[in-house]
Amino acid sequence: MTQLVQAIILGLLIGGVYALLASGLTLIFGVMDVINVAQGALLILAAFLAWTLWQEAGIDPLIGVLITTPAMFVLGFVMYKLTVQWLSGMPASMSVLLTFALALVIEGAMGLAWSTTYHAATPDYFDESYRLGQFYFPKAQVYGCGVAVGVLALLYVMLDHTWLGRAIRALSENAQSARLVGVNVRGVAALTFAVGVATTGAGGSIISVLYPFLPGSHYQWISRLLGIIVLGGMGSLPGAVVGALALGVAETMTVTYISPRWATAVPYVVIMVVLLARPQGIMGAKLREDVVV
Amino acid sequence: MSVAQSSARRFSPARLGGVIAAKPFGPVIAAAFVFLVLYPVVTDNLYYQNMIILSTLLAIMGSSWNIISGFTGYVSLGQSVFLGIGAYTTALFSLRVFDGASPFWFIPISAVVAGIFAAVVGSVLMRTRGHSFVILTIAFLFVMQIVTLNWSALTNGNHGLTLPLPMWDIAYQDWPFYYSLLGLLVLTVALAWWIRRTKFGMGLIAIREDENKAASVGVSTPVYKVLSFTASAVFIGAAGGIYAYYLTFIDPRGMFDIVVSVMIVLAVLLGGRGTLWGPVLGAFILEPLNEVTNNEIGGGNWRLVIFGSLLALVVLLLPRGIIPSVADLWARLRRRTDAAALVGARFEPPAPVRLPAADPAPPPSGRALLTVEGTEKRFGGLRALDGCSLTVEEGTITALIGPNGSGKTTLFNVVDGTMSADRGEVLFEGERIDKLPPWTRAHRGIGRTFQITRLFREMTVLENVVAPLRSFSWRRLGADAVSGPEAERAHELLAFVGMDRFADMQAKSLSFGQQKLVELAQILMLDPKLIMLDEPAGGINPTLIEHMAEMIRELNRQGKTFLIVEHNMPLVLSLCNPVLVLAAGTCICEGTPDEVQGDRAVLDAYLGEDYLAGQAAGA
Repeated sequence: MTQLVQAIILGLLIGGVYALLASGLTLIFGVMDVINVAQGALLILAAFLAWTLWQEAGIDPLIGVLITTPAMFVLGFVMYKLTVQWLSGMPASMSVLLTFALALVIEGAMGLAWSTTYHAATPDYFDESYRLGQFYFPKAQVYGCGVAVGVLALLYVMLDHTWLGRAIRALSENAQSARLVGVNVRGVAALTFAVGVATTGAGGSIISVLYPFLPGSHYQWISRLLGIIVLGGMGSLPGAVVGALALGVAETMTVTYISPRWATAVPYVVIMVVLLARPQGIMGAKLREDVVV
Repeated sequence: MSVAQSSARRFSPARLGGVIAAKPFGPVIAAAFVFLVLYPVVTDNLYYQNMIILSTLLAIMGSSWNIISGFTGYVSLGQSVFLGIGAYTTALFSLRVFDGASPFWFIPISAVVAGIFAAVVGSVLMRTRGHSFVILTIAFLFVMQIVTLNWSALTNGNHGLTLPLPMWDIAYQDWPFYYSLLGLLVLTVALAWWIRRTKFGMGLIAIREDENKAASVGVSTPVYKVLSFTASAVFIGAAGGIYAYYLTFIDPRGMFDIVVSVMIVLAVLLGGRGTLWGPVLGAFILEPLNEVTNNEIGGGNWRLVIFGSLLALVVLLLPRGIIPSVADLWARLRRRTDAAALVGARFEPPAPVRLPAADPAPPPSGRALLTVEGTEKRFGGLRALDGCSLTVEEGTITALIGPNGSGKTTLFNVVDGTMSADRGEVLFEGERIDKLPPWTRAHRGIGRTFQITRLFREMTVLENVVAPLRSFSWRRLGADAVSGPEAERAHELLAFVGMDRFADMQAKSLSFGQQKLVELAQILMLDPKLIMLDEPAGGINPTLIEHMAEMIRELNRQGKTFLIVEHNMPLVLSLCNPVLVLAAGTCICEGTPDEVQGDRAVLDAYLGEDYLAGQAAGA
């Protein structure tokens, strides 16, 4: 019983971090119908940035969020303008190929810059825990989850209460209508992509403390994030949060009750089962396929 | 530059035949093949032999991938999974089952195992489309990698498997690998060529162009998709067996490698997706480049950067690939004034010719051909159909009218099987059909057109008309895509609708009205008992409307029953009897044109008071 509750606690803590990352991915998909497969590589890149800030300047990675997030925002904007923008009109599968290609480039570039060995930021709290009765709460996970939830809350406020947020939501409903009522679709799409990528800035900083990482780690991360948004319903923000918590718990349960070796398979199994049994996910709307657009 | 526009004429069989036989490719391909056959005999350079072996391997994988992703349009990013499956099958058989036997014996088993995996996994995965399918193929690859890693008792996990060393005389170098792969490549290309010229291949292209439409004209899409996925796996499996022996050492990360999948995709996109030789060309460009970068720059990170950039550039700048670009350039250089000059030509519908009927017309019987009973269909909170019941009698031209959003098109979708209703029954010739898939309903005799025409855009007009299938049989899959009698019948039908002059043109180059006519000819190929037309007069000019009405009457005289959705009231009233009126998802009125015009409920729901006033003023 203790073991079960402990697994759930750890799953929810890490699920909070997943929620932020998956929200970025699902936001991009919802607005421009592009699955940004490079999201995992961008995440690891942000982790390397945070690690470098910590190593070279002594900035705590969780404070470094303030630097990595704007940096990733700018990178996302540039990436969109240079590549993704030119995809419009191509079949959906081409966007997967393009962003996969970008992921490979980023992976290679990280290998050149930081070498293909494991890195981890280890501020003094990284191996300490709070205790509450029988249960322990690793400090890094508590802080990380807190920062992630904070950034996620900001994202929600932005979407609900700003003009840009309304434009983004309008675009995800119907890009053509949004254009008709005067939304600059390209500009908003670029900003959305940048916002989506910016979530990897905060996320990368957090995971640099939580897990050791190397350039090739991005495959594991992108499959995890895809699993989450597929589970929650592609394009659904509430779905991303629910999916993230569910996947976090599923992973810690697998580690506790089966074997850490099989934990890596969890996201893939989730993806396969959900896409085949309920393709629209938990929160996704089932779309009419008969209407020709 | 739009993609759709730039991929003009890529897939017509005529073009494909030209690519095989004619200038500029024929002699080049023949010369390249002779070179490859002779190369190991005339030199003993192992470095280049290795390079050709790996290029051939990539070409086999590319040509195979092209069947599922180029022809059928389902992009798989996990196709290298079959390389791993083939490699492990051969290795396990030679090590664990027949202790130390030559791995070459087990290559056919590798092919079969890969094929079985593809058929089983494909029958599940191919229920999804687009993004979902791409992601699932990646997930499948990684799951297989993890399983192979963790099932150490069988696969030796992380430590991999070591195969026996080659037993032949060292003087023969790597010839057995070289020639077996070259032979396999010939087989793979031959398979792709054969598929493309059969009914099967035509069905695959139809699925790529518009899967729901393909189903509605009688293509049993699941069978086609699973077969094409299997066809795209078998030779990769066989190649995996040879590759394992060639390497003599395999491990899960190397064999189930996503980068290999990327190389496959990149090679085909580079050469030309959907073409016969594109994958081969792409592979023989890419693999040598890969070898050079590996040797000159040390591989690893630079390799990722280079291949990632290359893939991004190809996707963005050369999405059609080399062969289609060169072929287009060639065609432009020797452009003649032919059918293409008809585009924009004034369209004059000829007087309807009498259509030679495929069957003698049955006498109008008055019995119910189609019955819809209490059908409901909801989209979220919206009830598009709300307990709709109606009957179409055999031999009639029945109209279905009603305001926008009253559920007319949804009713069509429920009848032809594009959608399944939430509740209610659909009976055709007295038998329930509401659980049948769309293609079976097409085989039973239901043909429908779409409000916005849905022709297979990349096919020619003739191919569009030949594409429908009246029944499913395994033997037919291997038949010629366009056989003599079929082409003859198609030309007759095209002549009937007045579009025969356009037979060799690309469907997408036609005007909207012309597409409507071709779509009518297309479903006539099904020889349907019930023809459902969704706004046949919508968006076309008045002359053409009269032509359309004439054709409908002529077909009706031959025994075809019609159900027509139309907003053009004069046309409906002069052509149809009875008239059914749909409002808010239910059939509110049925009667002769006169009865319907006078009905109070119809005036309220659809025609409006102005209509009555207009009629009075006109009279």
